[in-house]
Amino acid sequence: MKIAVCLKQVPARDTQPRVNESKTWLREQDATFELNEPDAYALEEGFQLRERHGGEVVVCSAGPARVAQALREALARGADRAIHVEDDSLASADAFAVADALAAAIEGERFDLVLTGLQSDDQGFAQTGVVLAERLGIPHATIIMEVAVQGDRVRVKRELEGGWFQWVEMPLPALLTIQSGINQLRYATLKGIIAAKKKEIRKVTPAAVASRQRIVRLRAPEKTKQTQIIPGPAADAAKELVRRLRDEARAIE
Amino acid sequence: METLILWVLVLVFGGLFAWQVAVRVRLIRRAPGQLGVADPGMAVGRLLREVVFQSKVIAERPLVGLAHALVFWGFVAFAGYTSAEFLAGLGIVDLTGTAAFCFYSLALVPFALAVLAGITALLVRRVVFRPEALGKLSGESVVIGLFIATLMVTFLLDFRLAEESVAGRVNWWVHALVILVFLVLIPGSKHFHLLLSPITIALESPVLGQVRNLDFEKEEIGYETVAHLERKAVLDAFTCVECGRCQMNCPAYRTGKALNPKKLILDNEEALLAGKLDAPLKDIYDENVLWQCTTCGACEAQCPVGIEHLPLIINARRGLVSNGEAPDALGAMYNNLERRGNIWGLSQDQRQKFVAASGLETFDASRHEYLMWLGCAGSYDADFQKSLRSLFDLLRRLKVTFGVLEKERCTGDPAKRTGNEYVYQELANANIEEFRAAGVKKILTSCPHCVKTLGPDYRLLGFEAEVVHSSVLLSRLLPDRLPASDTVVLHDPCYLARYAGHVDEPRDLLRRVGATVREPERNRRNPFCCGAGGGLLFEEREEGQRISQTRFEQLQATGAPTIVTACPFCSIMLKGAQASSNATTQVVDITSYVEGRLKGTS
Repeated sequence: MKIAVCLKQVPARDTQPRVNESKTWLREQDATFELNEPDAYALEEGFQLRERHGGEVVVCSAGPARVAQALREALARGADRAIHVEDDSLASADAFAVADALAAAIEGERFDLVLTGLQSDDQGFAQTGVVLAERLGIPHATIIMEVAVQGDRVRVKRELEGGWFQWVEMPLPALLTIQSGINQLRYATLKGIIAAKKKEIRKVTPAAVASRQRIVRLRAPEKTKQTQIIPGPAADAAKELVRRLRDEARAIE
Repeated sequence: METLILWVLVLVFGGLFAWQVAVRVRLIRRAPGQLGVADPGMAVGRLLREVVFQSKVIAERPLVGLAHALVFWGFVAFAGYTSAEFLAGLGIVDLTGTAAFCFYSLALVPFALAVLAGITALLVRRVVFRPEALGKLSGESVVIGLFIATLMVTFLLDFRLAEESVAGRVNWWVHALVILVFLVLIPGSKHFHLLLSPITIALESPVLGQVRNLDFEKEEIGYETVAHLERKAVLDAFTCVECGRCQMNCPAYRTGKALNPKKLILDNEEALLAGKLDAPLKDIYDENVLWQCTTCGACEAQCPVGIEHLPLIINARRGLVSNGEAPDALGAMYNNLERRGNIWGLSQDQRQKFVAASGLETFDASRHEYLMWLGCAGSYDADFQKSLRSLFDLLRRLKVTFGVLEKERCTGDPAKRTGNEYVYQELANANIEEFRAAGVKKILTSCPHCVKTLGPDYRLLGFEAEVVHSSVLLSRLLPDRLPASDTVVLHDPCYLARYAGHVDEPRDLLRRVGATVREPERNRRNPFCCGAGGGLLFEEREEGQRISQTRFEQLQATGAPTIVTACPFCSIMLKGAQASSNATTQVVDITSYVEGRLKGTS
């Protein structure tokens, strides 16, 4: 089974974000980067499918030179090879442009299954995978909790709202966006790190990157604090407090 | 004629001895790594204390140790006598007729009696009492014990028998033959320690639990097979005297787990001699036992012949971890360390909240004497944070200046001890870089594991700072002396007492605040572990009895109403044991206790 896992490198969680000059993105020079967490679960799912069905796991990422670090990490964890669609403008491109670039790079390889994380921890559009499936002309399903490949079909469990799930079946090749936490991530081993040095990262130059969306302005949410005193006898005030917690603050159901 | 026979015998038996030694020397020489004396002064001191004066042998088992010392000192005293007799017998040079030799022989009589007394006691212990530490009765050891007794008896008889009489010659030959057969038995038995233990002790690392860093450039990944055992580990395997001190002090063994440190060493010896160099270590000993070690260091610290168990266990763990074969609980912890830089995978924000709420300043070398290192427990464990707040109050009162780093990541201790060298070095090097950038010279911490890692372990990476445990600093600075009005029992944390040697400071500190300190069994430099170290904090299942429960019961048995300890992980384990046994004995960290006493009585 030939599996592609698309990865994104995102600013590390403990980065103290600072907005850039044009107030449209983070100042990248202040940030450290890490592998997008949902993508780490997609990668692990790829490994587990490889263990069950054989084949190879190829990791792909679209982004500037720094992205090679994330690919190297995925190779150290056990990916067989990597494809790096390299272009500086991909750092701030929208999901459409990234999916376009990825599609062009992997189309020729005829993967049986393409996996992505559900969404990225920085922009959180949750669109790249979906658009990529359209571009590749294959079926897709999102927010996947469980994957079972049976012959040339795949049966998946999707997470719906309010604790509901849905089972969907589709023919391969297909694309799935994987929910975080569905498996136990493996750690990087020294053997893997040594082996990764010898693995191939194929570089691909994309056609002109044309984003359709534009970030107009980025700002940090402001923290506000409001104290309200509910007057009246304790019993009435308590009732009013519960009402407001439920209907206004939506802190309880 | 007798001379000729003796020549033939000496050559045959000497040859058999040399051949066996050569086999073992070859195995040591082909092993990777280097042998070297790290600190000559310390090695000489150890040789004097541990070999000449038999300190470790006697300290742990006074009577048996003394019996052994008598035999050992006798052996040394007899070296000249035996040499002179053989030189005379071989017709090389005869000094046995000289007045000096006569005097020397007479002087040996008390030694001979002492050896006889010693070896009889040891034989009675081995054959009649059969202590658990010695394992199955070894026929060979009994034979050698009888040999030694025979040597002494024949030596003493020699004074009563005419030299040229038949009885005199028979006596002389019995003595000579026993020595020759003994010689041949030495290399293949535990008695090889007669020759090897001084070497092993001299080569032992000056620092307990010192495990060489892996060199990634050389693609080192730890021990996977028997062939990977380094020279010192191979030497250790041949030196082991099978006394079982490691076994009887091991918290895993004592709570019914499969791990037996002595068995690891003997399994190595067997595999090396059987030529199983390519056998994976996990086939030589069950890999589960490798994950039962708390790295408390008792085995290595108690070993009388300088064997280093921790580098063996940690290198064998490295071999497994490097192949992705760590237990699941550790795999999750490694991911936490990689992604969040702390063992619990929590966000830096939580530490930040504690730092802000406690009014801590960011470390500035020009204004602060100490970098206050919070550690994973200090950053995230609400219970331990109470103890740190007490510490901050005390430090402020004592006018000690301190600050914290804006961000902290784990020292790498749990990665180091469990064999994830990659994560350890990533964390350690990143920390060292920040220490250097901030100009850190003195580090204060409440976690003994951080003391060991930031101190001796970071030294191997080229970073040198004074690392102080908070209980040690407080014992130096706290002027108060309250009248005795409370009773506590102190649980010595392994990494504070056994590793760093701080046993008097916490006791002194407790006395200053009016506590009478009771001593549990297994205390001071040889405490019984709480069960958390070596990554076992994360293990959910535990074979046999829980180590923490056993330790809690030992502490409870002193009758003291309060157990005081000085390590966040000991606190977690002992509080867990306290909760599950519904005991009234309370467990408290030393800093909280001290501050409480000062507040309550002032």
